[in-house]
Amino acid sequence: MDWHQLWTILTTPDNIPITALLFLVPFYTWYGLRQALANDRLIAQLEANPEMAKTHHRKVYPYKPGWPREVHVWPYLLRIELLAAIVVTVILMVWSITLDAPLEEPANPNLTMNPSKAPWYFLGLQEMLVYFDPWMAGVVMPTLIILGLMAIPYIDENPLGNGYYTFRQRKFAILTFIFGFIVLWVSMIVIGTMIRGPGWMWFWPGQTWDHNKLIFEVNRDLPDIAPFSYIPGIKTQPVRGLFGAAVMGIYVVLAGWLIHKLITLTPFNRKIYARMSLLQYVVMQFFLITMLLLPVKMLLRLLFRIKYIWVTPWFNI
Amino acid sequence: MKPEDLDKDPIVDSSLSRPLLISSALLVLSLAWALYDEIYAMRPWKSYQKRFRETYATFLNNLIPNQAEMERRIKASPEYQALDRAMREAEQRVLADVRRIDEEINRKLTPQIMVLNEKFQELRMEIGALTYELEVASSEPEKQRLRERIARVKQREVTVALPEPDGSTRKVRYTFEQMDRDLRQWKDRKAALLQRRVELMAPAEELRRKRDQYLADRIPEVSSTVLAGLRRKLENFPIEIRQIHVRDVDLVDRCESCHLGIREPVVLTKAAMGGEAAFTSHPNRELLRIHDPERFGCTPCHNGNGIALTSVTKAHGYYKHWLWPLYKRENFEAGCQQCHAGEIITEMADTLNQGRELFRLRGCYGCHRYEGFDRDTEELAAVRQEIRQLEQQRAEFERQIQFTIEKGDRAQDNAEAQRLYQHADNLKLRISSINARIEQLDIRSRNLLREVKKIGPSLKEVRMKLRPEWLPVWIKDPHQYRPGTKMPTFRLDDEEVRAIAAFIWQSGVTGQLEKQPLGDPVRGKESFETRGCLGCHSIGEGAEQIGGTFAANLSRVGEKVNYDYLVRWIHDPRKRTLPYCPLERRDLTEEDYRKKGLPFVFDFENSRCPNDGHELVVQQMTPMPSLRLTLEESRDIASYLMTRRREGLTYAPAPYLEDPKLKARGEFLVRFYGCAGCHEIKGLEEEQRVGTELTHEGSKPIDRLDFALLTQKAKKEGWYNHKGFFERKLKDPAIFDLGKEKPDKLERLKMPNFHLTKQEIDALTTFLLGSVESTLPPRYFYNPTGAKRDIVEGWWIVRKYNCMGCHQMMVGQKTVFDTLPRYQEPDWKEQKPPSLIGEGARVNPEWLMKFLANPAMSATDTNRNGVRPYLRARMPTFYFSDGEIQKLVRFFEALSSQAQPYIPPRLETLTERERLMARQLFTSEGAPCLSCHATGDPAHDRRATAPNFLLAKERLKPGWTRRWLLDPAMIMPGTAMPSGLFTRQGDRWIFAGPLPPSFQGYEKDHADLLVRYMFQFTPDELSRLRAAGGSAVRGNAIAMNQRTR
Repeated sequence: MDWHQLWTILTTPDNIPITALLFLVPFYTWYGLRQALANDRLIAQLEANPEMAKTHHRKVYPYKPGWPREVHVWPYLLRIELLAAIVVTVILMVWSITLDAPLEEPANPNLTMNPSKAPWYFLGLQEMLVYFDPWMAGVVMPTLIILGLMAIPYIDENPLGNGYYTFRQRKFAILTFIFGFIVLWVSMIVIGTMIRGPGWMWFWPGQTWDHNKLIFEVNRDLPDIAPFSYIPGIKTQPVRGLFGAAVMGIYVVLAGWLIHKLITLTPFNRKIYARMSLLQYVVMQFFLITMLLLPVKMLLRLLFRIKYIWVTPWFNI
Repeated sequence: MKPEDLDKDPIVDSSLSRPLLISSALLVLSLAWALYDEIYAMRPWKSYQKRFRETYATFLNNLIPNQAEMERRIKASPEYQALDRAMREAEQRVLADVRRIDEEINRKLTPQIMVLNEKFQELRMEIGALTYELEVASSEPEKQRLRERIARVKQREVTVALPEPDGSTRKVRYTFEQMDRDLRQWKDRKAALLQRRVELMAPAEELRRKRDQYLADRIPEVSSTVLAGLRRKLENFPIEIRQIHVRDVDLVDRCESCHLGIREPVVLTKAAMGGEAAFTSHPNRELLRIHDPERFGCTPCHNGNGIALTSVTKAHGYYKHWLWPLYKRENFEAGCQQCHAGEIITEMADTLNQGRELFRLRGCYGCHRYEGFDRDTEELAAVRQEIRQLEQQRAEFERQIQFTIEKGDRAQDNAEAQRLYQHADNLKLRISSINARIEQLDIRSRNLLREVKKIGPSLKEVRMKLRPEWLPVWIKDPHQYRPGTKMPTFRLDDEEVRAIAAFIWQSGVTGQLEKQPLGDPVRGKESFETRGCLGCHSIGEGAEQIGGTFAANLSRVGEKVNYDYLVRWIHDPRKRTLPYCPLERRDLTEEDYRKKGLPFVFDFENSRCPNDGHELVVQQMTPMPSLRLTLEESRDIASYLMTRRREGLTYAPAPYLEDPKLKARGEFLVRFYGCAGCHEIKGLEEEQRVGTELTHEGSKPIDRLDFALLTQKAKKEGWYNHKGFFERKLKDPAIFDLGKEKPDKLERLKMPNFHLTKQEIDALTTFLLGSVESTLPPRYFYNPTGAKRDIVEGWWIVRKYNCMGCHQMMVGQKTVFDTLPRYQEPDWKEQKPPSLIGEGARVNPEWLMKFLANPAMSATDTNRNGVRPYLRARMPTFYFSDGEIQKLVRFFEALSSQAQPYIPPRLETLTERERLMARQLFTSEGAPCLSCHATGDPAHDRRATAPNFLLAKERLKPGWTRRWLLDPAMIMPGTAMPSGLFTRQGDRWIFAGPLPPSFQGYEKDHADLLVRYMFQFTPDELSRLRAAGGSAVRGNAIAMNQRTR
């Protein structure tokens, strides 16, 4: 166990936000969910008592009789926001005094640094390059991410949950977010920062980042692995491409079926599903299937050393 | 929480005052912290400056009274008083006049000019403005109107109140013209008065300068006036960043923000500055003067981060991201190398010079290319390349000539034909200049073939030179046999040693060796110790070691060497058994010569290959010179050396040396380990280097230095940098194999161990650290031309042949002779080889050229020194090439700032009377010149300690000779030549001793007379002198010696 190495990684001024992320993201997820669940209990209470629902405006739980029905922004919200602003200012000031942003050596075009890392917010993209071909990871996927985010308001027309925390009323949306952002994006940033060492090799926490480390890994395309490798003509196109397309087709069908199952799991969701148009549903399925492709490919690569499933002369997946 | 609180609304009823108060307090605190950080914590130089101001003030306060006291004492001395009085008297004499002048200028002229000038300027401006309008006016009436206006202004009368010396004012009415006239007159008057004043004061000023100079000459550092000035400057010492900014190279050095004393005119030591090393003054002011900090800054030499000010670590660049950390104390001369690359000796950089010399002498460049080292080999390749190119071009021109002439023959008209023929003629002329160039290159390549030297001995001759059983012992570990030897220890196992030894033994050439009778070892020891062998070689082991380190230690040479070969080697070290033909890449044998019907003779006159006519290598590639010893003396020395052995030591027989099966394996290993980098080996003459190039090793990215498994350790222990790598690699070249799994031994690091001392490692590290690809613009590099370049190039030859082993060539340098016990005795001091400081000023370059080519100065009588026959130590024959002689002569000339080429001054011919006078002086009691100087009489010359006068005319320069006569101790301290032979009388020098009567009435300079006499000296004259002063010569020798002591 190389504690010195671990400490170096965790305390490099550049990495401090990521180290903080390790604790802050779970904390705020928990904190938000706590409020959401409390509100859900209030919602249950109000739904059970229509009288109360008529007079009750504050979404706060537990609620005691005698408390004001409404609370004004000034001063009750703004004073807390002021407090938060002060605390954040103090943190930023202390941070900037104690940790100087390091100025590195002049760039040398003849000598790339190793490991050569993207800024932390792009480390997810860089990590994706391990699993997809550069065109997919660098161009197609980022475009899809942006388009997907833009499409959300048009897919999700559920009006509930505006202005208050709730889990019950937005279960599917919240779980999709947690999966897509926290599990996929944030964890890839953490991997990129703390796990990927020289040569973009995988170093478990506490392993020494040794430039001389050598690893033996043979990554093969799916068509080259038995039993598929016995398919006649699999080494050549178009059999190879057609085979990949077939596998991808199977994946799409399976993933689509799985996602459909998840969507229609609860009665609430079924209600939302019933209200969706076909276009909305197909678009949503498309983005979710694509998103699911990432963890699937990561697992195939990390566990089975499979490089690409679908190999064509133009692109690889 | 109290129970009733449970019912309270957490939003409305809770108070945020406390968290607000606390966080606000924190905000204020962090603000205060930020301010503190900004003003103090990140600006440590502020406290440095405060401390400097205090300690420096204290330092000056202590110094000033001492200095003042010293000055007071000097001022009280009668000399100073006399000077002071003379100055004052001179002042007094002109005081009345000066005062009158001052009176007129200060009280009358200056105030009046000022007052009048003011009015005058007013009017002139008005006229100027009107003139401008006049010039740009468009119509003639308008112009006319303006002209009239100007005339009116000029006519206007102004009243001026002129101040008078007595305090009253005088009102005068002036027009413009009148004002102009008066002003001119007054100003002229004032200038004349001032000029007069200067003339009057001149003698006094001159005396004052003399007086002040007298004071300045007697104060070691700076005067108390300067000190007071420094002290005053400290009163208003601003606390601010001090930076050097050289705009065109983007250089910003703020080092002096803390290192405040660097450029102070007084010497500041650490102790004097309260133990603060940062405040010391620069230890070498001379260097600082050459490299003006305003132009060079600090970091170009010292490295470090010149911009950084936030901490010492940052500023010195000792952190990961700064690629040019400050050089440590032991390596600080590395900074010189980046601009002074290409020099072997840089003044004032002893460590660096040692590093370069080690790099050269230990044969590092045999494996590692380094630009500038081994330039002979590289130049040879370049010259051959150029010859090939020129030959191609010549062939091309010849073809063109032919075509052009043919075209001309077929031309339509005469003009066209003329033009083409002319073109052909032009090409012919160009071919002739190509031919001239080729001829020069041929000469150069012949020279270069002579100049190429190898660090180690030729291994072609092992069969004739060595005892076979010694060979494996040596290869196994040379340092075991001879500690500190140049050859490093390779990581070889016994199998490899056997294979290498077998290959080397079997690849050796065989030849006839003359059988030599034994000589006298006792006489040999004497010769060895006095002929100059010890200038390069050392002898004796451990603490008893004496002699130079340039060549091998000969303590155990008797164990390894064949006597007959040793005699040949001492007698003529350059003698080769077989010549080598670079074109055929093989050694020629007698057979090759016989086939062509030629005698088997090869030397500098017969240096062409019988097969292809190209130049051969006809001598051993060793720098060892010939001492021109007789065969008998060579035998004596060889016999003495054969006694140098450890008794009772036996070597295991090595029958495998003749095993042909080992040869191939041995050849592979020899090639693999790069033995041919230092040795001449049969079949491997044209081998390439096996190591990495080191020219820019100091700026190689750190990632490309392979720390291997020690990387993490190095990072943790803080030596993950170039210095750390070089030092460890040099100490133990195999260190970075530590822990590596390399079953194949050939994969291991192959650099051998040189067993360097700590000091040698520091020197080499300094050299390597400085070997950087500089980021400075080229004009910062030292790329001298003319005389300075001659010096740079000359040092390479001086190092190559180890001239400094015997001669002093640099001020402060010690020769090997200065360290030898024998030469500490007074009788032997005279026997040291001469110092060559100022040699260029002393000798005629034409003569020097001849002398270097043949130090015996005779084609037949070579068993002697040409100039100083009385010296036991021999000036050897180095067989310099013409190019080397040229460079050396220029080097000596340049070192003494002599103009090139040398044109001897014309000396006035002696009249008969003068010749007589000089002759008498030469033999007079007061100047028994011939008692020490050689005369060519063998009986006398045995005791002579100075050169023959007959040589002077050709050898010396008259200017130097005159200076030498006047004060030899100025040129060569400790010389036997007496000083004070002449005294100054008016503007001429006269002989200080009793003058012969013929000198009566002679008005010319006596030193000049003697110089002219010497330069018109003839053998006839010498014999006449000998006859005239024979007895005096002997009688006075003793008196003379007593006087010099």
